[in-house]
Amino acid sequence: MLEVTGLTIRAGAATLVEDLSLDLATGRLTCLIGPSGCGKSSVIKWLSGVLAPELQATGNARLDGAPLSPPHPGIAYQPQADTLFPWLTILENAALGLEVRGAPRAAARDRVRGLFPAFGLQGHEASFPDQLSGGMRQRAAFLRTMVQPARVLLLDEPFSALDAVTRLSMQEWLTARLAEDPRAVLLVTHDLFEATRIADRVLVMARGPGRIVADIPVTTPRAERTEASLAETRSMLRTMLLEDTE
Amino acid sequence: MDVLRHILPAVVLAAAFLGGWESYVAVTGVSPLLLPAPSDIVTGLRVERAEIARHAAATLGVAGLGFTLSVLFAVAVSVALHFSCWLRRGLMPLLVASQTVPIVALAPLMVLWFGFGLLPKVLLVILVTFFPMTVSLMAGYATLPRAFRDQLVSMGAGRWQVFRRATLPSARGHFFAGLRISATYAIVATIFAEYAGARRGLGIYILSAKNNFRADLVLSAVVVSALLTLGLLALIQLADRLTGRRYQRTAHA
Repeated sequence: MLEVTGLTIRAGAATLVEDLSLDLATGRLTCLIGPSGCGKSSVIKWLSGVLAPELQATGNARLDGAPLSPPHPGIAYQPQADTLFPWLTILENAALGLEVRGAPRAAARDRVRGLFPAFGLQGHEASFPDQLSGGMRQRAAFLRTMVQPARVLLLDEPFSALDAVTRLSMQEWLTARLAEDPRAVLLVTHDLFEATRIADRVLVMARGPGRIVADIPVTTPRAERTEASLAETRSMLRTMLLEDTE
Repeated sequence: MDVLRHILPAVVLAAAFLGGWESYVAVTGVSPLLLPAPSDIVTGLRVERAEIARHAAATLGVAGLGFTLSVLFAVAVSVALHFSCWLRRGLMPLLVASQTVPIVALAPLMVLWFGFGLLPKVLLVILVTFFPMTVSLMAGYATLPRAFRDQLVSMGAGRWQVFRRATLPSARGHFFAGLRISATYAIVATIFAEYAGARRGLGIYILSAKNNFRADLVLSAVVVSALLTLGLLALIQLADRLTGRRYQRTAHA
């Protein structure tokens, strides 16, 4: 449903990403993995309409066949940094996307309030971000992203700031949430364990210039994904990532 | 108890200073025309309280009006500068240059141009207090984390929405810092303006006390002007406390 073709991103004379193409389908979680500096964040920033002004991009994106010029209401973006506004309550933060798009304040907040239990945030509507644990803040950020009607979610390293245990439980939580509310998801990560644990498909990017070098489906059902069953895929990915860093 | 421990050092130092001053005057027998003792200043304050209060009210009125207009003006100008790069490049050097004009030279000119009424004094207060506030606001706008802006833009927010929803709230701390700096200038600038020519006000009171060789009354007026400034600062602090609980929270970005 989302198709990107021929995306090239330049920083002056240097080419950051060259002729990249990818496609995302509803109900599928695609992980974009690659070494730092390969341009994976830039790809989703471009799709979200927030590419840094010093970068120049050319390329085509189509959403359900129609040409897309970002930012677009069909695409929701969650930056890598924790962008819950410290001066807004969790409820106000979560309703931000709807309010920015013009929903009346009361309606937006009612709609968001109804989703608090599903996101494990019940009772924290009036809390401020600094009163919540890292995992809860991340769920609040997911709520803010997922309450938007967008069918494409672009998530930039959503678990990178979490401790290892919280990260595992949040990965499980996210895949369960997406099973109930299917979207087309592109999740950027540099963690191949994370990618193989949650993805339906892993796209591997390489540096210099950034391009996709492998498209690996992960067909094992999530419930059956064990260290042993993923070992082969992981060792393949590790080889590819290590080759690139050498 | 906590409050006491907090203000105790200041109280002790002030008492020591005033005690030293009082005994120095008593021991050396220096003329009160030259150096009045703190007790003389208090006496002056008591005897002249009606007169000083009348002048202080005039000063407070001018400072309050000038300061209020200055805040509105600073907010408007900072918003214009924030949104227009062209304006920022054009106006910023002029604003900086305006601050290099000594207020001593400006005050008599203002009186010359605009007479002895309210206008020259209010203008002088605006001129002195407007700049630190504008600069503070501009610095505050610049603290907006890039990721906050990106988050809003990806949601479809335009420049004005980004400004209203994120830039302005992030600048709040800087705004109050600028407000405090400007408030300390407001009373002093008013007294300067009155000194250059006025019918009423602490400035003109100080001038006539000086001309009558009443150093004690000059210092009484100084005490009152300091109290006015402290009162203004307390008011700002209160406004900050009452409206700003949610803005003092820590960011994680």
